[in-house]
Amino acid sequence: MFRLRMILALTVFCAMAMDAGSITGKVAAGKGVSVVWVEAAAGKTVPKPDKPLTMDQRSLLFQPHILVVPVGATVEFLNSDNVQHNIFWPAISGNKKLAHNLGTWPKGQTRSFLFETAGVVPLLCNVHSEMSGYVVVTPTPYYAQTDEAGNFKIANVPDGSYTVTAWHEGYKNQSKPVSVGGEGTVDFTLAK
Amino acid sequence: MRTALKGSLALAALALSVPLLTRQANAIPAFSRQYATSCVTCHIDFPKLNDFGKAFKDAGFQFPKEDETYLKVAPVMLGAEAQKQAFPKSVWPGTIPGMPPIGLRFNSFFQATGSSRNRFDPLAAPGVPQIIPATDFASGLFSIFTAGNFGSGIAFWVDDDISVAGVNGAGGLGDAYLKFVNVSRFLKLPKDSLAVRVGQFELDLPITQARSYNLSPYDIYQEANIGAMNSMVALQQNVSNQFTFSNPARGIELTGGHQYGGYHYSVAVFDQNTTGVDQSSNTTPYVPSATGGANGGVGFGSTADFKNVYGRLSYRFNLERDSESRHDIQAAGPAGPRDHSYLAVGSFYLYGKSLQQFAGMNELLRVQEPYYRAGGDFNFNYRRFNMYGVFMYGRDQNLLPVDNTDALISLPLTSSSPLPVNFIKSVPAQFDGGFVQADLMLHPWVMAIMRWDGVNSTADRINGLALAANTPFFAPVHSTRNRFTPGLQFLIHPNIKFSFEYQIRPEQSVVIETDPLTGKLIAANPFRVKTALFGLEFVY
Repeated sequence: MFRLRMILALTVFCAMAMDAGSITGKVAAGKGVSVVWVEAAAGKTVPKPDKPLTMDQRSLLFQPHILVVPVGATVEFLNSDNVQHNIFWPAISGNKKLAHNLGTWPKGQTRSFLFETAGVVPLLCNVHSEMSGYVVVTPTPYYAQTDEAGNFKIANVPDGSYTVTAWHEGYKNQSKPVSVGGEGTVDFTLAK
Repeated sequence: MRTALKGSLALAALALSVPLLTRQANAIPAFSRQYATSCVTCHIDFPKLNDFGKAFKDAGFQFPKEDETYLKVAPVMLGAEAQKQAFPKSVWPGTIPGMPPIGLRFNSFFQATGSSRNRFDPLAAPGVPQIIPATDFASGLFSIFTAGNFGSGIAFWVDDDISVAGVNGAGGLGDAYLKFVNVSRFLKLPKDSLAVRVGQFELDLPITQARSYNLSPYDIYQEANIGAMNSMVALQQNVSNQFTFSNPARGIELTGGHQYGGYHYSVAVFDQNTTGVDQSSNTTPYVPSATGGANGGVGFGSTADFKNVYGRLSYRFNLERDSESRHDIQAAGPAGPRDHSYLAVGSFYLYGKSLQQFAGMNELLRVQEPYYRAGGDFNFNYRRFNMYGVFMYGRDQNLLPVDNTDALISLPLTSSSPLPVNFIKSVPAQFDGGFVQADLMLHPWVMAIMRWDGVNSTADRINGLALAANTPFFAPVHSTRNRFTPGLQFLIHPNIKFSFEYQIRPEQSVVIETDPLTGKLIAANPFRVKTALFGLEFVY
């Protein structure tokens, strides 16, 4: 029993003392930014963000075009235009059962939504069909958006082995394993 | 040939070419480019406007509020904003669109005509076509249109058909005007209660013909009151009024209110031209034109001194329960903004004078024959279902020519007819009719249509296929033409549309006989022409 306690204490100590590393790499895809995130490891829970994030509708555009949030986050959808807007999504990562319509609300007001499922949420407006935006709900708080050249860095990732996924609008997702021992590197080449 | 009859023949020729080639303007892709927004922002199944599109048009082709925040292409300033402070010592600054706001449109058709289509052949005068083909691929219109806003609430619109039926230059100018929006602000009247439109424009019809989304035109808007000068008809008519609501008017219009809710009115004063003569050829070598030398310039749009007057008043009741939503441009539905549920009712009235003229005994005999058109309309919308209708009554006074003994001259005039010296009033030439149409959006990209057109006219010869043979197209006992037109329209893309119509017409005849049993005139050799029409069009 004592031996078992010692092993457990050692494990906790090691975990506490473990260095946080980072994952860097490059995503080769089309124009614009990509999103890269670390998939959840079995049995691990992630803390919920404490502040809601905002997706604005301004000048007939979703701003930002891509909003990345961890699962469990609440997003506030703001209408800054003085024309009526709507936000709906026909699916989350292709799952049509998760489709939702937030309705209509006037200028200056918001509608909130709690994203409890990870996935890519394509935002649409049913009166301005050209409007397009995305909420990318990541399963862990370890994510990053690339720069225009495709470079990314996910910081503060605990050492370990993970699966990392890259997403780009209009391209197929790609997942790759990566080990973080201080720093991990992974590159992606996405295809349509 | 007497002028009136000549006019009738010209109209008949025109009528033959009308169904496919009705002048239509359409959606404005230039706005899509300027605002980087889709056609469906303003249109349901283009060119049918949704409530936002109506508000955009009312506001002078701009967003009703804070337009500049939505423009993705900045307009070019024609003078600094501060120049306004220097006025009147400087020109009031305006703007022009940052890119030429030009849209183009092309359509083509496939038509199939019923099996009895050639049964009139033995009676028809030689001409083209000698045989109506069973199926046919036909070219439609290639049109250019431009519209926008010059700042200070001055909107513009010009559309023109570059090519019609595959022939370049065979088309013509549609609407072309400047509109001074919200002039009411200068008079301290309620906002949008007065705007002024000047140029050539479609009258403020209850349901637009120029921007119709149907393949075929509304028959009542095509109705010209042309008298039946036929010795077989007891009550002769000398009416040669080629005015139709489908033609654009040249003049000035005062308008106010909104198309998306509440009142709307318009009063227009415009040229009278009931002889069908083109402005370009309406000139004389004896009087210099103000716009050119003798027999030159742009000609005269009018054929008489009198100006027609048209007025329309309508009210639209938005039926949303929520007050705020009811008064907004679009209704706030639980699944997003949408068009209001509404009921609109309106009425219209036109007064004009039709020029009648004959080569008289001593001089060209002319008279201005009063006529009017009056009607009412309704428009009901519930979610994806829209139903509307127009009823119209037309009346021309019917002045008949008399000879020097005041005796009526038998019509039509022939070379042996006595010379007319005067006119007397007779039984007015009347017609009535209208249409009712129901649209159902099955999906945002599929619209089902059912429509009925009806025209009742004792002198209806607009279809005058057998005019040269002096036989009425319809039996006098049933001088009515009706048509049921079910249809479907598919948006392949927001700017590409495939349309279908099946036109079901009543039995028709060009031969009249006397029923040996009743002694009444009946139609013989009846035939029924049904047509199927497919259209493919795109705008960009």
